[in-house]
Amino acid sequence: MRAWLATLGVVAQMAFRNLFASRLKTIIVGGIIFFGGLLVVAGNSLLDSVVASMSRSVIGSVAGHIQVYNAKSKDTLEVMGRMMMGDPDLSQLDDFAKVRDSLLKVENVKSVVPMGISGALVTSGNTIDLALEKLRSAVNARHDAKTDAQRVEAEARVASEKGHVRQIVSVLQGDLKNAKAVLDERTIDPADGAAVNRAASDAFWQDFDKEPFEALEFLENRIASQAADADLLFLNYIGTDFQAFQKSFDRMKIVEGTTVPAGKRGFLFAKHVYEEQLKLKAARRLDQIKEGTENEGETIATDPDLKRMVRENVSQVREILLQLDAAKTVDFRAKLQRELGSQEADVGKLLAAFFQTDDQNFRERYDFFYKELAPSLELYRVRIGDVLTIKAFTRSGYVQSVNVPVYGTFEFQGLEKSTLAGALNLMDMVSFRELYGFMSGEKLAEIQALQKAAGAREVSRENAEAELFGSKAEDAPAAKAPRRIEATTTPGVAPVMRDLGESLGGKLQREEARSRVFPADEVERGVVLNAAVILKNPKKIRETIVAIEAQGKRDGLTLKAIDWQAAAGLIGQFVNVIRMVLYVAILIIFLIALVIINNALVMATLERVKEIGTLRAIGAQRRFILAMLVVESIVVGFIFGGLGAGLGVLLVSVVGKIGIPAKSDVWFFFFSGPRLYPFIGTSNIVAAFAIVLLVSAFSSFYPAWIAMRVTPRQAMQEEE
Amino acid sequence: MKAIVSVREAVKNYTLGNVVVPALRGVTLDVVEGDFLAIAGPSGSGKTTLLNLIGCVDTPTSGSVEVAGKDTRRLSERELTDLRLHTIGFIFQSFNLVSVLTVSQNIELPLLLQRKLTGPERAQRVSALLERVGLREYGTHRPSELSGGQRQRVAIARALVTRPQLVLADEPTANLDSVTGAHILDLMRELNRTEKTTFIFSTHDQSVMAHANAVVRLADGKLVDRVTPAQAAAENGLPA
Repeated sequence: MRAWLATLGVVAQMAFRNLFASRLKTIIVGGIIFFGGLLVVAGNSLLDSVVASMSRSVIGSVAGHIQVYNAKSKDTLEVMGRMMMGDPDLSQLDDFAKVRDSLLKVENVKSVVPMGISGALVTSGNTIDLALEKLRSAVNARHDAKTDAQRVEAEARVASEKGHVRQIVSVLQGDLKNAKAVLDERTIDPADGAAVNRAASDAFWQDFDKEPFEALEFLENRIASQAADADLLFLNYIGTDFQAFQKSFDRMKIVEGTTVPAGKRGFLFAKHVYEEQLKLKAARRLDQIKEGTENEGETIATDPDLKRMVRENVSQVREILLQLDAAKTVDFRAKLQRELGSQEADVGKLLAAFFQTDDQNFRERYDFFYKELAPSLELYRVRIGDVLTIKAFTRSGYVQSVNVPVYGTFEFQGLEKSTLAGALNLMDMVSFRELYGFMSGEKLAEIQALQKAAGAREVSRENAEAELFGSKAEDAPAAKAPRRIEATTTPGVAPVMRDLGESLGGKLQREEARSRVFPADEVERGVVLNAAVILKNPKKIRETIVAIEAQGKRDGLTLKAIDWQAAAGLIGQFVNVIRMVLYVAILIIFLIALVIINNALVMATLERVKEIGTLRAIGAQRRFILAMLVVESIVVGFIFGGLGAGLGVLLVSVVGKIGIPAKSDVWFFFFSGPRLYPFIGTSNIVAAFAIVLLVSAFSSFYPAWIAMRVTPRQAMQEEE
Repeated sequence: MKAIVSVREAVKNYTLGNVVVPALRGVTLDVVEGDFLAIAGPSGSGKTTLLNLIGCVDTPTSGSVEVAGKDTRRLSERELTDLRLHTIGFIFQSFNLVSVLTVSQNIELPLLLQRKLTGPERAQRVSALLERVGLREYGTHRPSELSGGQRQRVAIARALVTRPQLVLADEPTANLDSVTGAHILDLMRELNRTEKTTFIFSTHDQSVMAHANAVVRLADGKLVDRVTPAQAAAENGLPA
């Protein structure tokens, strides 16, 4: 045993000496192994950290640990990363209460949140429409005025609104001139030009009061259509139970307003969406420039994005101009002239000059904007407290519209800046069901009453042709159990119902939207598309998925449960993709390492044929030679791999202290906050060593085989 | 006296591709203990092949080679290696020292392979041999720092460190100048006398043969005769 150790000693000593003697080879081989070890440890640790923090983001914002949906669905559920690609085809879960009761029987389940995810177009804030509506109501008020006081007040309102509309028309006239300068004159409809010119003329406004309704009609029909400042917003939303949602996703906090009270219709904007899509664009850009210059250390002079925003603010003052009525125009002119020290009378040009900001004057202009100008402007196209009319295509393709009051905005703590986490707004379950095409019992009855009144008969889809073209068909089956809109409406009836809702009952509906309280039973017992499940022990996701599906079967439900990563769709895949890339990179590096190391060792072995032969001649067994070479490789592997892994550990722990800042909003999501604090996984260090040793061992196989074949005779051979 | 090497009708053929090249064509030779024997002959006469067979580096194609009473043809590769390690010392034409080891470590190497002695015992034997070959000061030097003659002395020390019964030297002076070569042979001769070690060395140098007890002459793979150094010198027209 002692002698054996002594031999190992000499083997090791020779190995070390050989490594030192052929320094260049050792450095090349060692360098590659060093880098490999570093990459395995640092790369894997970093990825593990991203996965861990991303899972916090995904789990904490919408997905929960597990998502449950109907196993009969054609598509798989994706709760995140949806763009405007339409809804996945999911079968509904008919009775949420039943689903929840079943889920809660599974031991590890802590809470269940009902959900349905969809998206809808929202038309919002066409300034001219709003201005004309105000003018119309002022004219109406004047018309209906009973006392002198009322008449005077209404007259003043009419005058003010007229001023605003004239302002808008003059902006349009300016647009038209610009268009003529840029475009071929023939592409502009002369009728449009004439209409704008007429609306801008003094004569038109002098005559306005003679036939106000005719004039309004002209403005609504010919002018409003040309002021295309209305944006179609696409809002993604989750229909849910606000109380359960807030309790289960404790990172959610209300930023403005309040949460939606239990049983009421309501809408909460994601703060990010509210800022990004509903804020006055000029103001939003000012915010972003401020963010860029003050928090990210960029300058307007050097950063192309900030430069672009300044340019857009200068060229897109129209959005603000359209909001200015006569009084505000005067006010803005005076303020801007004072601020800029200018004699310019045109407010548009003043605004353009005002927005021409640079690094020196930006902060001052920013403050001036919010202090002096913003109070006179509608900063958000939808205010907290407004009733939002959301129109969505139901599953069967009809347009369904629902009025929901906006109660406030919310965000997820740590994910404030993430577009991904802040892309989904929240809506009450009842409104969601209606938009998705699931009718409440009451609405169903209302429609049936309407059908009766209108004399509309049930026409099923299969019999529609026969009905229309008069051939005999069996009587259409009456709608019974299915509560889908497609089964209970005919093509003619659905739009009528919608129109009724909007024109006749508009005000009533808005009232209803605010005050109506739905009984808990109706909220709970209805249809949902999916449900988020929060676990007591998040480490047991896999077991719980199995348990949930089994419990579902026992309760007669077809439940499909997926983990948060699957539910996160593309985003969940993203990490896998990065991991794959890392593994491929590691694989390639180690393959290259294998080849290079192998090559280097073969060269080294060939150079040492005589030495090996000599050793064999003086009595070294083959296994001694093998041991010598293997020890050499392993020593290199251990030392350099260890150094690489060590540096990786050091790097990760230093970075873990400082944190990696999230450069863009996407990274906020992956980092689950403004910074990622990577941690070392012990398994990664073990993996690094295993890989390094494996590679070292593999790469010395062939050279070792060559060395073993060296005969002692080769010691005698003389090189010529 | 007892024969330490006994070669009987040894034939050695090498195969180069499809061609069989005969290197030895039936050599019979006995070497007794304590001999100091030169194997002489021109290049290609089979000197090295004969030494390889005696040194257990190779085995004969036919015939037999017995070293220290063991028939090498009956031994496995491992047993041959062990035989080399424990019974034979090697001195090479170009010294064949391990360049990354110091002089002392080179000398110690066979002892480490043998695994018989403890560290202090090894150190003692190494320093005694260093003294013996006149390199006391050079123990920590690297072979590359030594002259050719010094290196060959290190090689001799390495060959003798295990106290082998037999030392084989293949053209030990071929890479040395004549004066140094003579010194090396003097050293070998002295060791032969004092340690009673048997030496067999190959050479084609007349002045080297002069140091031997006897000269075995080879030509074309056959043993021509066994003569005294004086006879060999006389036949070549040189003074003995």
